[in-house]
Amino acid sequence: MSDAEPGRFRGVLDWAANRMLNATVLERIGIAVGSTLLALAIGLIIVAAVGHDPFQFARDLAVGAFGSQRAFSRTLQFTTLFILAGVAVAVAFRAGVFNIGVQGQLIIGGISSTLAMIWVAPILPNGTGGGIVLIILGLVVAAVTGGLYGAFPGALKAYYGANEIITTIMLNFIAIGIVGWAVDGPLRPDDARSVRTAYLPDNVGFPQLVFENPNFSIVGLALAIAVVVIVSIVMTRTSLGYDMVTSGYQQPAATFSGVASKRMIVMTMTISGMIAGLVGAVFAIMVQGYFIDPTGIGNYGFDAIAVSLLAANNPLGVVPAALLFGALDSSSSYVQIHSGVPVQLIDGIVGLVVLFVAAPELFRMIAQRTGLGGEDK
Amino acid sequence: MSVADYTAKRSVRLGGLALIALIALAGIAVLLFDIPLDRIFTVGFVNRTLVGASPIALAAIGGLYAEKSGVFNIGLEGFMIFGAITAAAVMYGMGGTSPSQPHIWLSIAIAVAFTLALTVLYAVLLIRYKADQIVAGLAIWFMGLGFAPFAASLLWDTVRSPGLASINNYAVPYLQDIPYIGTIVFNQSPLVLFTVIVVVVSWVFLYRTQYGYWIQAAGDNPKALDTAGVDVNRVRYATVIFSGAMAGLGGAVLLAHAGDFVGTGETMVDGRGWIAIVAYLFGNYNPLGAAGAALLFSGLDMLQVQFQTTDITFFGRDISARLIGLAPYIGVIIVLTVWGKTRMPSSVGEPYEKEE
Repeated sequence: MSDAEPGRFRGVLDWAANRMLNATVLERIGIAVGSTLLALAIGLIIVAAVGHDPFQFARDLAVGAFGSQRAFSRTLQFTTLFILAGVAVAVAFRAGVFNIGVQGQLIIGGISSTLAMIWVAPILPNGTGGGIVLIILGLVVAAVTGGLYGAFPGALKAYYGANEIITTIMLNFIAIGIVGWAVDGPLRPDDARSVRTAYLPDNVGFPQLVFENPNFSIVGLALAIAVVVIVSIVMTRTSLGYDMVTSGYQQPAATFSGVASKRMIVMTMTISGMIAGLVGAVFAIMVQGYFIDPTGIGNYGFDAIAVSLLAANNPLGVVPAALLFGALDSSSSYVQIHSGVPVQLIDGIVGLVVLFVAAPELFRMIAQRTGLGGEDK
Repeated sequence: MSVADYTAKRSVRLGGLALIALIALAGIAVLLFDIPLDRIFTVGFVNRTLVGASPIALAAIGGLYAEKSGVFNIGLEGFMIFGAITAAAVMYGMGGTSPSQPHIWLSIAIAVAFTLALTVLYAVLLIRYKADQIVAGLAIWFMGLGFAPFAASLLWDTVRSPGLASINNYAVPYLQDIPYIGTIVFNQSPLVLFTVIVVVVSWVFLYRTQYGYWIQAAGDNPKALDTAGVDVNRVRYATVIFSGAMAGLGGAVLLAHAGDFVGTGETMVDGRGWIAIVAYLFGNYNPLGAAGAALLFSGLDMLQVQFQTTDITFFGRDISARLIGLAPYIGVIIVLTVWGKTRMPSSVGEPYEKEE
């Protein structure tokens, strides 16, 4: 802890923040679980209302996500991306900045890392060594470009007062448009039947250690978890993380203790964008092996908002929340095939989860009425 | 300087600046690229701009009422999606793939009623249960992105509807033959005319009636309004429900002009709800200003059609429609950067709690 120089003031704030976090941690978990269950229940009612068997649907959800090794590795594949994207959102939300632009930042990070790896590959040796260098290069480039794409709306907010919610959403549309145009035009190889870039070099890819799924590697998951650990250490154990959180929740206090809040906004958005960029790189390296029209990429950046909220913007909480969303995404095609329920229902259920997470008062009331957890007042 | 003076001066200044910027841009474009302006700014362009602006303007007016009263309804995009799919579904339910004009009107009305009902629930969450306004609004967007294509798949087995029908223009005999004005004013979509009326009425209501003052007070000084004996939350319920219904109307109008529902990607609404929010910010919470901004954004958007039909090239290269389509989004960022600090009502985002 850095309670050396600004002294007692920080210590008091620290203590207060910890108190508050611990007191509400259980309640937050309760709200997250309650929101999810309520949303799933409404989903089942809708399934029944449109004439399908809700029990079959629930069973298909579970089997499609965890029923086989293939299903499970597919779940982990989505989980990996949701963990990274969720942490990107959480970092910003924690610091009181709404980064709705993770989708755009991951697109920019993904395309630029793909291009960097393709362009640099010819000057490197072919083997594993060259591959490792390329992957590191790809990850770095993704973090840099994603970070820049995040820093831009951050700077507009800090220095021009432009609402970051709106600018990041606009930048999403712009990233989708420009990258979509590029992969369909200048970046599209002549022999490509679909809209995509050239393939990544053969030596770029995470090794298959546990699962035999060409789109998932435990290395990717490990990378995502490593990011979670680093971020939560930075947020809770360093003065940078401390300044970010206080400037988000205690702006006057932060200003009094000498934190430049404008620079902090830019810093927060940059870090958030860097992690978002990594999602794009992992997506290209682990899942696809090239980059496609961004309209065809899943809505990881948007669903990540739900992931982060469900985790109460806690980097560690993002992991179980990401697993839930990974499971939902993973089972969607299975559900459509086996129960005939259109997959888009699952996106709607995700929306419901977010809606309920937004209204903790609702659950406090339910808890009081039902006598569950009613001991707090 | 009174508040009214301030807004009046400000809007004049903004309007003037925007106009100068446009003229300068046009001048540069003409000089640099030898662009045939007369082939870009045609009657068809004006009509497309008006048709494109109406859904944005309608949603923007709803959103500005809510925000004026102190509630940020960031779910406009989602409610527009719900409006569009409901109108499409009702139209299909009544007339199959060839609904009649009365069917279209009826489906717009039902879409408004449906989104109104949805917003009642949303308003209860926001006001009674003090839900986070940003998060809840995003949730409505996600739900629209999920449930609208879901409904489309149930109805038509794909996320797109078949071609339904679009609204017919009204045509005033003789007057429609007046050059330029005739086709723009007297041979126009009735929904455009309707939007114009809504814009004017909502301006009068907001700035010239008792209730309009209540709305403004609910956002700027809820305590004073409470002291004056008006229930702040009741005012907020009214504006939030109105805003959802207006966004639903916007979505339905969009569908009635397009003639079919598209549920791919970000759905056919494709960011118009977000643009609507920017439109009222740009218009400084004034219905007339918001409508003007909607026109500006729609005009930017429709330029791509003009560029395509006139085969304009930049440095010898075709301009991709997809790139030109980005102009409104870039425009929004510039607008927000230059006029980022709009005068927000001071209590936006805070739930109002009566002190006992």
